[in-house]
Amino acid sequence: MHAGRSFATAILPLVLALTPSAPAHAQSTVALDPAKLAEIRESNAKCFACHSADGLKSPPRQDMDFDKLKSLLHDPALYETSSHGRVECRTCHGVGSTTFPHGATLKAQVSPCSECHAAKVYRIETQFEASVHAKTQKDKFTCWSCHDGHVYNIAAKIGTPAKIVAQDNAMCLDCHNSDLQFSKFAPVGKRRPTIDTIHAWLPNTKSHWGSVRCVECHTPAGRSFSHEILDKSKAEKNCVSCHSRESSLRTRLYRHLVSAEEEKFGFVNSIFLSQSYVIGASRNPWIDWSVGAAAALLAVGMLTHALLRIGAALWRRRERRPP
Amino acid sequence: MKTRIYLLPLWLRLWHWSNAVLIIVLAVTGASLHFADSTLVPLSFATAAQIHDLVGMSLAGLYVFFVIANAVTGNWWQYIPKPPGIMARSLKVTRYYAYGIMRGERDPHEPTPDTNFNDMQASAYLVVMYLMMPVVVITGLIFMFPQTAPDRLFGFDGLFPIAVLHYVIGAAVVLFAILHVYLGTLGHTATSQYKTMITGWHEGDLPSGRTSSRRAR
Repeated sequence: MHAGRSFATAILPLVLALTPSAPAHAQSTVALDPAKLAEIRESNAKCFACHSADGLKSPPRQDMDFDKLKSLLHDPALYETSSHGRVECRTCHGVGSTTFPHGATLKAQVSPCSECHAAKVYRIETQFEASVHAKTQKDKFTCWSCHDGHVYNIAAKIGTPAKIVAQDNAMCLDCHNSDLQFSKFAPVGKRRPTIDTIHAWLPNTKSHWGSVRCVECHTPAGRSFSHEILDKSKAEKNCVSCHSRESSLRTRLYRHLVSAEEEKFGFVNSIFLSQSYVIGASRNPWIDWSVGAAAALLAVGMLTHALLRIGAALWRRRERRPP
Repeated sequence: MKTRIYLLPLWLRLWHWSNAVLIIVLAVTGASLHFADSTLVPLSFATAAQIHDLVGMSLAGLYVFFVIANAVTGNWWQYIPKPPGIMARSLKVTRYYAYGIMRGERDPHEPTPDTNFNDMQASAYLVVMYLMMPVVVITGLIFMFPQTAPDRLFGFDGLFPIAVLHYVIGAAVVLFAILHVYLGTLGHTATSQYKTMITGWHEGDLPSGRTSSRRAR
């Protein structure tokens, strides 16, 4: 995917799996016909015969540029389980990829993401235009800059929040934790800020990074996830947006699970309990009321006792007074 | 016999007031965290979290000091209710708190260096200091280092029962501390027990004509 390609035309492989109304060859949640699945696997196996670690080790032919091949390897198992796992390689890479030699322009002929995911690309492109990534690096950024369509899985498919967090944060840290990768995109002379330093204000930083995604704070809150990545001046710094009964995590990391939420032991946001205890958000109104009732009883008891003591003392003083 | 005895050594008084300050700070910051979305909380979440962590660690250290100092000096014995006659003595104290104090009677329990607490105090302090406090301290430490919590417990994240226990027992300790402040006014005068906790000296009547302030043990 070359740098000059527009965002919309580059997003195809990623968004392929995201659009419900995607064409028949896109990832589907419906069980695939076994014969069709076997056909896809057989077709892709021909590509992986060369474009995999095993392929490089035992190549089916010797007349290839092995140095170039080394940079074009993929993991068949990861691909199979990715959101694009049921898509034939040639769907995106074109029929030119099925013959060898492939031809010099093959890479440039990769289908744009919008070919399958037009509606989604249209929506995401507007969000991306407002993103910090579009400010100075608009021409360098494509869907593929963050999302590797050969391994990427949509959150709803992954399901487990910890796995979603691991996958999605790795996408950010690929550049933001590597001077080399960062320099490929950043304006000339801009130094990569150290992740630990710029997040020093965040209590229990490491725990956050294992439990939530960078984008929970670095995207605007809304009913659905946005691709408008916010820089530190706009990013969420109000802890209470997550650490509260109306936690925004419900519409972010946990949005795929919220519909299946059941009241567990009467806890608010009980869906979080499957993954973590979020202070301020994981709340049981019964426990809170019990604590409040105990405090109120205590206050009333102490006050009554104190008033009785004072009254009794005054009474005794009056009794002692000479007539 | 009117007497003045040295009841509370300096280390115990310093521990007591340090413990009090730390618990007040932890209660305020803890409430600010748990009820983060309430308009009544006095501190921002991030500030409360940082203070709660720091002061929580201090309380853990202070608690370890308390246990060791109590063991070394023998003060732990004060926390053990001593049968026989616990029930009868406790009823006497209960009657005093509920009725006798209104009539201006003297507290049936006169503190001595050997038996500083009455039986109800010994039982309550035993539960609070040797059962509830360790639970709060240990769950707090696990909360601070969540990697030490079990991965899963009863189908939930392992931190869940730890967190609930920390909140509930922590709240119970704070409620006890509030009650403790009031019970502190139930001495021979409303302020006498506060004076004792500051100076270490208790002014009162020693039973059986004992006037020594030295420990019998």
